Amino acid sequence: MRRPKKTCPITEAGIRFVDYKDERFLARFITDNGKILPSRLSGVDARHQRQLAKAIKKARYLALLPYTRAHQP
Amino acid sequence: MSRAYEAVYIFDSTLEDAAINDKIAKHHALLGTTQEVKLDHWGRRQLAYKIGTRETGYYVVARFHAEPKVLPEFERALKLDDGVVRYLISVHEHELGAPPMSEEQLAARREAGDDEDDDED
Repeated sequence: MRRPKKTCPITEAGIRFVDYKDERFLARFITDNGKILPSRLSGVDARHQRQLAKAIKKARYLALLPYTRAHQP
Repeated sequence: MSRAYEAVYIFDSTLEDAAINDKIAKHHALLGTTQEVKLDHWGRRQLAYKIGTRETGYYVVARFHAEPKVLPEFERALKLDDGVVRYLISVHEHELGAPPMSEEQLAARREAGDDEDDDED
């Protein structure tokens, strides 16, 4: 049994390059604990997942996103 | 050849706005760019986690063209500045909102058969 193929939400949104400054958008791709959501759950394609991972890591460094829920004020 | 960069600075939010503008002008003078630096002040905002004792920071995004060789000196100045809590400088080429590629760049890309995304750092 094959599940129907998910479509990539980033491609669908027409985004060419994932921006690390857009924390509202990136927040959709992290778990409640702050982990990066695996692409098998989010359906993001491989190219965008690589961009997303880098963008989230930059956003974390700039304190736009939390590294973990434990440190949130 | 100069390259396009994007920098995000987080300043100490207790600094006066005038002091922040002074610091930005002083640091950007080190870049020795003739072109104008595009600044985007986000202003004071909550940090996603505490940095030391700070819970808020003053965010500024700057876009500029500079020679790569001036960056080490520029970063050193930022690092030594106590008013700068954090900074991130990244190459701002072929990205969202970046200036479009010139014809020769596009031709070079086609020639290389480069369909992959660009690594930015």
